[in-house]
Amino acid sequence: MARARTTRPHRLALAGALVALVGALQVRAPAQSAQTPLNLYGRGATGANGVVAAAKPEASRVGIDILRMGGNAVDAAVATGFALGVLEPNASGIGGGGFMVIKLASMKEAVVIDFRPTAPAAATPDMYKLDERGHVIDNASVEGGLASAVPGEVKGLLYALDKYGSKKLSRAQVIQPAIDWAERGVPVTVNLASIIKDNYGKLSRFENGLAIYSKDGFPPEIGDTIVNKALANTLRLIQAKGADAIYTGDIAAKIVAENRKRGGILTLEDLAGYQVKVRTPVTGSYRGYTIVTAPPPAGGTHVLQLLNILETADLSALGEQSTAAAHLWAEACKLVFADRSKYSADPDFIPVPAGGLASKAYARSLAALIKRDAVLKNPGAGDPSKYESGSTTSFSVMDKDGNMVAVTKTINMFFASGVVVPGTGIIMGDDMDDFELKPGSVNSIQPGKRMLSSMSPTLVLDPQGRPFMALGSPGATRIIPTLAQVISNVIDRGMPIQAAVGAPRLFQGQAGSLVLEGRYSINAYNGLVALGHSVTVNADFDAYFGGVHAVLYDHAAKTLHGGADPRRDGQAAAF
Amino acid sequence: MVKTHVVIAAAIVLACAGAAAAQPYALKAPIATKPAFLTTVGQSADIEMVKVLLDRSAVPYKANAQAKAGDLAASGAKTLVVVLGGSTKGLGAAGISADAEIERAKALFAEAKKLGMTVIGVHVGGEARRGQLSDTFIKAAVPACQYLVVVADGDKDGFFTKLAGAAIPMDKVERMSKAVEPLQKAFK
Repeated sequence: MARARTTRPHRLALAGALVALVGALQVRAPAQSAQTPLNLYGRGATGANGVVAAAKPEASRVGIDILRMGGNAVDAAVATGFALGVLEPNASGIGGGGFMVIKLASMKEAVVIDFRPTAPAAATPDMYKLDERGHVIDNASVEGGLASAVPGEVKGLLYALDKYGSKKLSRAQVIQPAIDWAERGVPVTVNLASIIKDNYGKLSRFENGLAIYSKDGFPPEIGDTIVNKALANTLRLIQAKGADAIYTGDIAAKIVAENRKRGGILTLEDLAGYQVKVRTPVTGSYRGYTIVTAPPPAGGTHVLQLLNILETADLSALGEQSTAAAHLWAEACKLVFADRSKYSADPDFIPVPAGGLASKAYARSLAALIKRDAVLKNPGAGDPSKYESGSTTSFSVMDKDGNMVAVTKTINMFFASGVVVPGTGIIMGDDMDDFELKPGSVNSIQPGKRMLSSMSPTLVLDPQGRPFMALGSPGATRIIPTLAQVISNVIDRGMPIQAAVGAPRLFQGQAGSLVLEGRYSINAYNGLVALGHSVTVNADFDAYFGGVHAVLYDHAAKTLHGGADPRRDGQAAAF
Repeated sequence: MVKTHVVIAAAIVLACAGAAAAQPYALKAPIATKPAFLTTVGQSADIEMVKVLLDRSAVPYKANAQAKAGDLAASGAKTLVVVLGGSTKGLGAAGISADAEIERAKALFAEAKKLGMTVIGVHVGGEARRGQLSDTFIKAAVPACQYLVVVADGDKDGFFTKLAGAAIPMDKVERMSKAVEPLQKAFK
């Protein structure tokens, strides 16, 4: 990263110098990068028949192979999803869950499959004990058995396959590539090696994971491969028995036994009772394009809300990376996150005013609060300190027939709870940490409730109502502004999808510093500081800002373009 | 011409054989006494890997990533092992700023000197554990060390070599697991 920086002295190097001058290293030092050495080439892909954009090149190719075999976009998405659980084990898998937005050409309306984990029946709002600083004692919402909710991944992916798959390919065919990778071994990239090292302590504490994710007692090094025979066997059982292989029987018993051994409260009844929820997407528009995205407990409502606020300004006239544009983004983000923390939760438990949040009129009223020459102080209510993990994954599939799928799924933190179920290769998620961990919030814990998420897989239709773009991102709360920025880059700035994904990003929560990616214009940095923003500069390409994987259809050229994120191991594939 | 090629080939073979032989480590004799006290300078998760290295080196230790100067005397340790390299996430989890972390390290080094402890710096994170944040901590810690063990990938640019200079003996190892032998040899 340092080398890259020296080639652009007018941007980050100058920003870095400025940072040093103001003597605020503790808040402005570039984050450690897991992406060195960074490769910006070969991330995108173009094809006439189908494109899959995922966080691992091998996973994208799995999806393409399924399309070549005659599968549709859902078949490809499900195969890619299972493969990512093997190829990117730190980010998603059987122990977690997510959201999938599907719009097949034959469907009048899109559908959202919610396979987010749920709180166990024995969960309570005060189940985590807090210390005097309000921190969870022993990090129990993140590590160990009590961190795990009832996983939804396998039921979710198989529901999509059964309901929306082409029926031309069997469940066994769709899952087989994941088994092949588990047996062949997952390549350890710079990114994965770094993530394993960062989480080695957690894996060591719950020792089962070391059998898979260590080599000679140390983290595997770049170029090694990680073989996971136990996971291959688990996937074979899913091939044979479907979701029952996980939610009932021997593996369910193993999951419960290990969870409870590590202090958890999962029961066989929790697993057997898990249900996929089929939700109506939240829909709106941005400059004539239709936005179709995942509703609460997912975060798509706020992507739409943010776009609605931005639509009140002529962003293209404000100029790319200008102070005025960045200020508008930052202020709009503050307002959106204030609403998110106050209103968003599982709609099956808490009435969420999703329609109002996504309305143009409400957005105009919020936009009126934004001043061109001043910074909003303490907008709205809520808890700005809520932390969510960025260790999710997102992928998108589109094909020439106009089928579109966007999926975002997670086990929450990298390597999640750290608990690996012996003999199964399954890493149990730590999604419980996404609840508000004390009573009194709309997002407080209740039995059977789904924790709030920023995951926002999104589809975009062009002004003629044709399939235009599928996209999604990991990155915790950064997901919401990140997706809005990529959509804006395409619609407002006319960027090709790969450029739109790669462009420098910013993030602003309800409170706290405005965070700029290192390549952001030094002029904007200076302008934002002059306006009164507290600005933190992160690394040039920083995974903090998510990892967008998107597909865009160029109707004039009858060509699909995949964009994949260099901030992670993203690479699209096409045919 | 052929004769020249044979000579060159033979030279290459001999050079390779030499390289494969036992590595001559920088220390002529052990400099450290057991037990050790293990901490980080930069709050990186690499401390977990160094725990494994010390276990395999048969060096008993107490570990505290956020140890204060006062902890050293109470530990009874004779050697301070510091894990070099910064982590934004680690600093955040510890609730400590980079500046405060450097102050903590300086106080530890001063106390170690007062107690007559040997200080050994270990950098196992390779290139990924470099960059502005990590380098700040490394620069602050290396001058206090009497010996360094570095995974070579982290010294591609000669950063450690330059910092250590002639004053601080340093061994570079190709892989993390190869750091066991120099650490074993460093302890009496």
